[in-house]
Amino acid sequence: MKLKRGKLLIDPPTSASSDIAFILIIFFLVCASVQPETGLGQNLPKAETQPDKTRQSQNIEVGISPTGIILNGNPLQVESFRQRVSAELAKKTREADKVVVVKSASDTTYERWIEISQIIDQAGGTLTLEIESQQTITLD
Amino acid sequence: MGDIGFLLLIFFVVLARTQDDSHVQWDPARLANVDSAAAPLASIAVDVQDKIFLNGKQIGVDQITSRLNAILGDTPTGSRNVYLKIHKDASAKIFEPVIEAAGASGSDLFHIIEPDNS
Repeated sequence: MKLKRGKLLIDPPTSASSDIAFILIIFFLVCASVQPETGLGQNLPKAETQPDKTRQSQNIEVGISPTGIILNGNPLQVESFRQRVSAELAKKTREADKVVVVKSASDTTYERWIEISQIIDQAGGTLTLEIESQQTITLD
Repeated sequence: MGDIGFLLLIFFVVLARTQDDSHVQWDPARLANVDSAAAPLASIAVDVQDKIFLNGKQIGVDQITSRLNAILGDTPTGSRNVYLKIHKDASAKIFEPVIEAAGASGSDLFHIIEPDNS
């Protein structure tokens, strides 16, 4: 006895394919746009053309190089720097004194710099950059 | 109708991509504790070859402040969000002048960093 097999698969109408593609694109666009960026916020104080030497001397000074960190002239490792800078900033009462002047060696990588910046930020310091300006002097 | 909508969408997607910086090649740094970012008004990127981009267009470091001032206009502080997408291996002699120039425009800087779950 032969059984007739019914047609189970039905092709969707071809006119609907563009509508399906349209809905799929909307779906993927929405998925792509909802991925939030992550990172670290930073507010830099305005640069001073003529820095006040008396005020600067009260600020904490940090030197960053590829191999180490210097806090007020003392070389430290990352963990001890975290503790020392927190202790130093805790002593400061005025917001203006919580400015941390950061001077980096020219070959310091961004990954290391941002790590130190985060430590300063978490300790309650306000980071400011000290950049050496290059001047070309022509001699006669 | 669907075809027209599809073509319009492609058109706007292509138009939007000319202003973004998805073509810039850079690897973000990683940090343990990171925050979520608010929507930016501008984006500065430093790629693997130390080239600087503002909203996807290559510029010089001396142009950053004036271009940002034009983009940010009179936007109040707290809403002047600017993303900094700096390649993790960029050196200080490249990225520090960029950060300084961006900060000089009164931007609320936000460094784009990947969370380090390890």
